[in-house]
Amino acid sequence: MAAFEYRQAEEIRRAFARHGVRYLFLGKSGAILLGFPDTTQDADLFVERTPENGQALVQALRQLGFALRDEQAADILRGKDFVQLKNGPFDLDLVFAPDGIERFEDAWRRRIEVEGFPVCHIDDIIASKAATNRQKDRESLPRLRAFREYWLQHRHTPGNR
Amino acid sequence: MATTRQKTPGIPSDWLEEFEAAARRPLKTRFRYSFIHTYKPVLDDEPFRAFATMADYRRWCEANLPDWLGYGRL
Repeated sequence: MAAFEYRQAEEIRRAFARHGVRYLFLGKSGAILLGFPDTTQDADLFVERTPENGQALVQALRQLGFALRDEQAADILRGKDFVQLKNGPFDLDLVFAPDGIERFEDAWRRRIEVEGFPVCHIDDIIASKAATNRQKDRESLPRLRAFREYWLQHRHTPGNR
Repeated sequence: MATTRQKTPGIPSDWLEEFEAAARRPLKTRFRYSFIHTYKPVLDDEPFRAFATMADYRRWCEANLPDWLGYGRL
């Protein structure tokens, strides 16, 4: 599997818009969209857990080329908290209930749009990473918090809302 | 550049330089620099996994992934 590319993010944006999927980039991939200079392997998407959104999501994923069997689609439709996809053109983590964020609607209200990509606010990204309490997240938090300070003062990336 | 640094006290200068350099890059370039792929044992060995709860996922990571991947809780 090759690294996740900008054009693939564009494909997500296009397919999810076509099917009306409500989602947000979360995690380090979200922070990178906001301008955080770091590395990561795949994209994390926070997806709204509703039956309609689940249906739209499955359709969009299949259109993107994810080979979802019916029982796998059913897991997504049920809105399991965490789904890891490595059966498509790129790796994708779907998070329906991220640690540290109470409700999708709250994160959606706080979202930042970067060139048409809906992204969790940096505070939600940090809250989510802090709540996981994992070694790899704990190590990245000081730099992420420093980036937050920088980002709050310099929200000048073209395309930001 | 110096003005920016005066506005952001407390950020180590090397991080500040990296943030400023990233801000100057187009998003497409940031993607190219940021998304990499390296094989992660166990994690990358199945095409699909679903966990009913995040707690289930965390427990699975701790039970199945090598410690050095950093997925264990502190």
